[in-house]
Amino acid sequence: MSADYHMDDESPRRAYDARLMRRLLGYVRPYRRWLVAATLLLIVVSVISNIAPLLIMWSVDHYINNPDRTGLRAADDAAVSDALAGQVAADMAGLLRIVALLAGFMILEAALRYVQMIIVALVGQRTLMTMRLDIFDHLQRLSLRFLDRNPVGRLMTRVTNDVEKIQETVVSGMVQVVNDLLTIVVVLGFMIAINWRLAVIVVAPVPIVFATSLIFRKYAQRSFLEVRRKIAHLNACLQENISGMRVVQMFRREDANYAEYRRRNADHRNEWLRQIRNFAIYFPVVEFLGMLATALILAYCGWVILATGREVSGTASVGTIFAFVFLAEKFFSPIRALADRYNLLLEAMASSERVFRLLDTPPDIEDKPNPKPCEALRGDVEFREVWFAYEPGQWVLKNISMRIAPGERIAIVGHTGAGKTTLINLLNRFYDVQQGAILLDGVDIRDYPQVALRRKIGMVLQDVFLFSGTIEENIRLGDDAMPMDHVRACARHVNAAAFIEKLPGGYGYHVGERGCNLSTGQRQLLAFARTLAHDPSILVLDEATSSIDTETEALIQDAIAKLMAGRTSIVIAHRLSTVQHADLIIVMHHGEVRESGTHQELLAKGGIYRTLYELQYRDAAGQDAATPE
Amino acid sequence: MTGRAERADAAEHSRDSGKALHGRPFLSLLRYNLPYWPRYLGGAMLAMMFVGVGLVVPLVIRGIVRAFETGTMTRQLLALYFLGLLLIAAAEGVARYFQRTLMIGASRHFEFDLRNDYFRHVQRLSQRFFHCNQTGDIMARAVNDLNYARDFIGPGIMGTVDMIRLPATLGMMIYLSGRLTLVALVPLPFISIAVYFFVRYMNRQSKVVQDLFSALTARVQENLAGARVVKAYGIADREMRAFRKACEAYMRENIKLVAVMSFAWPLIGMVIGAAVLTVVWYGGGMVIHGDLTLADLTAFLICMVMLAFPMAQFGWVITLYQRGAVGMNRIAEILCAVPDIRDEPDALQEAAITRGEIQFDHAHFAYNGVAVLHDLCFTIRAGETVAIVGPTGSGKSTVIALIAREYDVSGGRVLIDGFDIRSIPLRTLRRAMGYVPQDPFVFSDSVRENIRLGKPDASDAAIRAACETAQFSADLEEMPAGLDTLLGERGVNLSGGQKQRLTLARAILCDPVILMLDDALSSVDTHTEERILEGLREVMATRTSIIVSHRVSTVRHADRILVLDDGRIVEQGTHDELLALDGLYAHMHRRQLLERALESEA
Ligand SMILES: Nc1ncnc2c1ncn2[C@@H]1O[C@H](COP(=O)(O)OP(=O)(O)OP(=O)(O)O)[C@@H](O)[C@H]1O
Ligand SMILES: Nc1ncnc2c1ncn2[C@@H]1O[C@H](COP(=O)(O)OP(=O)(O)OP(=O)(O)O)[C@@H](O)[C@H]1O
Ligand SMILES: [Mg+2]
Ligand SMILES: [Mg+2]
Repeated sequence: MSADYHMDDESPRRAYDARLMRRLLGYVRPYRRWLVAATLLLIVVSVISNIAPLLIMWSVDHYINNPDRTGLRAADDAAVSDALAGQVAADMAGLLRIVALLAGFMILEAALRYVQMIIVALVGQRTLMTMRLDIFDHLQRLSLRFLDRNPVGRLMTRVTNDVEKIQETVVSGMVQVVNDLLTIVVVLGFMIAINWRLAVIVVAPVPIVFATSLIFRKYAQRSFLEVRRKIAHLNACLQENISGMRVVQMFRREDANYAEYRRRNADHRNEWLRQIRNFAIYFPVVEFLGMLATALILAYCGWVILATGREVSGTASVGTIFAFVFLAEKFFSPIRALADRYNLLLEAMASSERVFRLLDTPPDIEDKPNPKPCEALRGDVEFREVWFAYEPGQWVLKNISMRIAPGERIAIVGHTGAGKTTLINLLNRFYDVQQGAILLDGVDIRDYPQVALRRKIGMVLQDVFLFSGTIEENIRLGDDAMPMDHVRACARHVNAAAFIEKLPGGYGYHVGERGCNLSTGQRQLLAFARTLAHDPSILVLDEATSSIDTETEALIQDAIAKLMAGRTSIVIAHRLSTVQHADLIIVMHHGEVRESGTHQELLAKGGIYRTLYELQYRDAAGQDAATPE
Repeated sequence: MTGRAERADAAEHSRDSGKALHGRPFLSLLRYNLPYWPRYLGGAMLAMMFVGVGLVVPLVIRGIVRAFETGTMTRQLLALYFLGLLLIAAAEGVARYFQRTLMIGASRHFEFDLRNDYFRHVQRLSQRFFHCNQTGDIMARAVNDLNYARDFIGPGIMGTVDMIRLPATLGMMIYLSGRLTLVALVPLPFISIAVYFFVRYMNRQSKVVQDLFSALTARVQENLAGARVVKAYGIADREMRAFRKACEAYMRENIKLVAVMSFAWPLIGMVIGAAVLTVVWYGGGMVIHGDLTLADLTAFLICMVMLAFPMAQFGWVITLYQRGAVGMNRIAEILCAVPDIRDEPDALQEAAITRGEIQFDHAHFAYNGVAVLHDLCFTIRAGETVAIVGPTGSGKSTVIALIAREYDVSGGRVLIDGFDIRSIPLRTLRRAMGYVPQDPFVFSDSVRENIRLGKPDASDAAIRAACETAQFSADLEEMPAGLDTLLGERGVNLSGGQKQRLTLARAILCDPVILMLDDALSSVDTHTEERILEGLREVMATRTSIIVSHRVSTVRHADRILVLDDGRIVEQGTHDELLALDGLYAHMHRRQLLERALESEA
């Protein structure tokens, strides 16, 4: 299964791209006030959380390791001992003050952090919902030409998983990055304020972190794009197998299809294993650089102390060393976090690239800027020299011209594959013609808004598709305003009421996916009923009764004749009995209109129609002969 | 009982027999992890190693501070400490590299295995299952829930292993000062209580969220699959509304989950902070009173800082575990669904289908409690061609589905060549069948692969011969790449009749003992139908064949015609016998005849 009918999923190019980021930011823009608030909160949180080590340092130097006390302890007499006790008490009180202060800060920090996280979560969820809705909306707009060539499983992956991937990263990531950067700046500020030389030392390994990240990115981003592509393929394979499981089982394809799935699965896994190696190198390197900073500080301080002698310990007091070891940790943990987020960002970028590429696919069937209103249609249909091909160069319809007067009943017959379905697919703009035009009431259908046009044309498609939901929902198709009586009446017209009422729950019977728990004929009846329920100006039936018994069919025919009186209808059928009463019969052959006329005219002409007819007639005659009566 | 409730019932029924794993996700996770125990062991050992090595860091720092305090520091010693620190960091890095590749790698292998097994299992499930479970839902489990499970297995377990830091660091703290350690542990009970409640809530809420995500996926899936209908009725806006609703529900519940989860972080952070403060205060006091050296306090505080990270990680691991557990549960729901059609343990491995005699022995059948076939008794002799006719919904397809054992009878028996169908291994049974279902299904693959689906080693000549019989050759010739022409999902680039004839060719190519055509010529014009029937006559002469159709012209040459009405056989016999009977069939015949007569008069 190496070759694929489907659109090439494009091999990966760049993952991260300022353009992508800008677009992602565009989704966040409506919430920028909230995000600014969240960021401000974070700044406060950052400052508070970094005051802690300072205060601890202060308390070490002034209370815990109070040099006065050390001096007192050295001396050894009662007065001094009293003084020592006093000093101890004073130091303890000082320490307690600081601890109380710290506790206050801590509570404040927790509260602010919570508020900030909630804001971020809300914004993140909303943003991603917007994105998900955008994709879904865009998918609704894309033409069948696109949908035909993109497996459902792959497209699904974008709406669900790719968005989920972005959700996990982008919004929370953005604020976190701001937080991390802020923390870095704040800590750096503190460090410089305390001792700029030490600060320089701590910062020294940072360029190496950068360099490492750049190298890492080169390998990682490619992998991420590949991973996203492979998971989409894997999902498409799964989706197809689930929907065709019946055939898979019937033809004992389990092993072969499993092998195929397994192969794709292994592809996906191997790509990840590659990626894991990339990470496994990257993270420890960043980690190591953090430790390097700590070691450098200790060494430097030690070196200074040794060089200048212990007396001049003001340069780097023990408290300072202490604070710096803390600060170095504080400084590197956001850097580590940034590294972590960077990889998530790369992954999210791979996803957003796929999402945006989908959003950038222009729908090739679009409404004109100022579409003509399409309210009351008379139903005058004209095909004017229509040429159409699914694949460039392979004409499926060749120079089709025909005219259907308002209220006329026309039939299209022809061998299978002649292009009948294609013809009506063009009528409601599933596809656009390549040459010529289709006119409705004298106006090119491309001048009408698509939705309005399609609502006017009631079509019973050859491949029946029902949604999972109740029978009623399937007839209404979301039109809540439709009275229940109308639903019932339509079901009665097509003779579906009889079977529906027998089902447990009647109109509330739950139809499975694609109508799997109904018989094929029942599905067709339901599709028929739903088309009638929407009261179309033009009725198009593509083999709408092919799986229905003749008895029911005859009843439906009568009902339709009454219901559609005065309205244009187009019927495609193989059973000539279905079409013979049409005002006009069009015989299609290899994408061309071969013959057209009424039943009698065509019989008189002696062409394809007559051959088809005679086949049935002879059959009937043969039966006549065989009838013992 | 409403349809919905019934559906839920059926779903329940098909799942509950395998409750063993369900509800105990940890066990099922374990089962999939077992093969990778060396990796986990290696990872754990490495973790222990770098935790051990990492513990040296506070000691080194203590050494440095102490050396200064006592004035014994020299340059050599300082250099030694410096190099020591770097060495420790390097060792830790190397250990981490291997730990990561081992453990995260294991999670990818786990994912691979589980995904394969999931697919394999879904393949074994019967139609009944697929009717109760939406494709989108089955997929969401394989994609989304599996990811959650994997995230626990990989980063989650790694994080857990990393938590050996906790006891190790604790040991170090005790070594430094037992009293201080005790003080530092005061907030522990609070953490435990908080964690307990969070976990409980998250478990419930994650399930809600993940179920909603499934619903979302199913919506998208169905919308895309039904794109033609959505467009034809211009209902994209309604679909959009429904989707928005699903998205909003998902978002709402997700925000609830996040709100509580977000609360967990600052809380845990606060508790840790409280511990640090207690230590500063109490430990500081001890130093002031001269009960503790400054160096010890420093080392102790560094230990606590080292603790802060695994503690925060603990919260993270719990989240991962929760989601993973819910995901695993949801996967287990499917993995535990027992296929209701499967080889029974007492299946006769030697059973062979050679003649193709089919017998319905008082067979009853009901879909979810709704009786569809009532007490069917008939025999189709080996080599006979039998047609089944009857009104829409009378049960024709169901009869065929029973012969193919897509369902099991609810009463009575179906026998093939004298064997109860349930005692014949499924593979044997299905190899004997050539089945054209009523709605043709085509895979997105080449025409060749699609036709030789049941016989992967068929030669092109054989394929072409089958196409000839199915009258598919002319279409094939018009296709740009002939047999290599690639087809889209569900054969979107074929016409209705082409799809039917392709599936017909597929069945013919299998050269089955029993050929079953379920209304397989409904989308084919009369001209083509006539020629197909002519070709089929030869094919059917040598095997048992069953033809379902609504057209008298298709069935009248059958050896025998069964007329089904409302799940009962109301008439049977040859065309002529049935006409003589003047029942349902004769009526149907007259109706078609009448039309013809009208036509000829015109
Ligand atoms: N989406 C598509 N992409 C490419 N080719 C297509 C597509 N749909 C149909 N075709 C091809 O166009 C031709 C005409 O198909 P069409 O469905 O119009 O036939 P039809 O007259 O409706 O036949 P039937 O009676 O079997 O339904 C066929 O050869 C078919 O293979
Ligand atoms: N999966 C299912 N679950 C529940 N009920 C079902 C299911 N499949 C079919 N039915 C019901 O069983 C009855 C018989 O269905 P069946 O498909 O056998 O009819 P049929 O004779 O093949 O009809 P048609 O001519 O329309 O193909 C119908 O009333 C149908 O609604
Ligand atoms: Mg067609
Ligand atoms: Mg049927």
